Amino acid sequence: MKWVKSWYLNDIILLALIGIFFGAIFMGTNFVYNVLSAALTPFGLSGLANELLLGLWCMPGMLAGYLIRLKGSATLGELLAATVEMFFGGQWGITTLISGIVQGFGAELGYIATGYKHYDWLGLTAAAATTTLVTFGWDLARNGYFKLQLWLLILYLVVRFISMFVFGGLLTKAITDLLDRSHVLKSTH
Amino acid sequence: MNPSMKLLLLLIIALEISFTTIVSLNVALVILAIIYLLAHRTRLRTLGWLVLLPLLPAIGLWSTQYINGSGDRTLMAWVLFTRIYAFVFTGATFTLTTDVLQLTDSLEQNWHMPAKFAYGVLAAYNLVPRIRHEVQVIRAAGLMRGQVLSFWSPQLYFKAILISINWSQNLAQAMRSHGFVEDAPRTHYRQIPLTKVDWAIVITGVILLQIGVFVIPWT
Repeated sequence: MKWVKSWYLNDIILLALIGIFFGAIFMGTNFVYNVLSAALTPFGLSGLANELLLGLWCMPGMLAGYLIRLKGSATLGELLAATVEMFFGGQWGITTLISGIVQGFGAELGYIATGYKHYDWLGLTAAAATTTLVTFGWDLARNGYFKLQLWLLILYLVVRFISMFVFGGLLTKAITDLLDRSHVLKSTH
Repeated sequence: MNPSMKLLLLLIIALEISFTTIVSLNVALVILAIIYLLAHRTRLRTLGWLVLLPLLPAIGLWSTQYINGSGDRTLMAWVLFTRIYAFVFTGATFTLTTDVLQLTDSLEQNWHMPAKFAYGVLAAYNLVPRIRHEVQVIRAAGLMRGQVLSFWSPQLYFKAILISINWSQNLAQAMRSHGFVEDAPRTHYRQIPLTKVDWAIVITGVILLQIGVFVIPWT
């Protein structure tokens, strides 16, 4: 129970709030996603819309891992965001939860791989890379990617990593730089 | 039915059908879910939305496999098309009949999830409408200074995180001042029972699923 003890009520509420805030911001991208997805459907490439924007959806996990430097924070952050999304208007139901765990654990692996010590470029890039691999592994089964032709599979994987890197790496770094400069994190932990 | 047991059963179903390629099984699950939803007085209009909303992604997955797949492309296209609907309808049997309060109560009482997780998430959950409004406020405040804040602007997320830190501290303080003590034993006003019937339903459900996956020779 030592792990549980290291979490405070503030941290838990903070992770949940961030997840909901990000979810509210992402609502604006639904339109982009739908238009892009519909435009690509006749070419059998609708998955590209998902690949391009997936990095956004994985941001709460990566940021949670950065903000609250406890074991499991990335997983928990993404899971809490998914739980709230499941009840609030998400039509994907239970699979939202599974995706939340997969994406959160993917980000967590990056921080595990860097020993929970690198809250910098290395840590974020590692998190982007592991999130790409773990979520892609899940999509091989869930979205039937294992049956796709090889060139498309590679294209999806590359686009997904770029998206993870742009949103999970570049954008998250820009956000954390602003947080560092404002010194708000010291007051929370 | 006990909410967390229902969630467990549905998670097993969702995980297992992600690894199967049986169209009829997916359709059977959708039909079962619709019967369950109708028995729980779900409105027809809601069911209609459940059919319409996933249509675009379902067609997208279908065309991806049909055009760019390998092996039996038609089969895989229909498997993924029906799988999306199986996800949506089985998921709806949970989200349309259970609310977040019942689930957190059940996880806390039946599975000993620490109370701070249950109530912490509930506290945040109840702020969803305010959070949606706050995002609009941040955007409007940006516009007044000629800053267009979009989903790629770090400032938008930065401000959202600042507000989250602020609110999380206020909420935690409010909960403590109402007598919430972290890691202290609690009594419960709303009791969520976990009965043998719940276990029987989950075990029967899982066995039936295995029969559906491995025994029935679907054509």
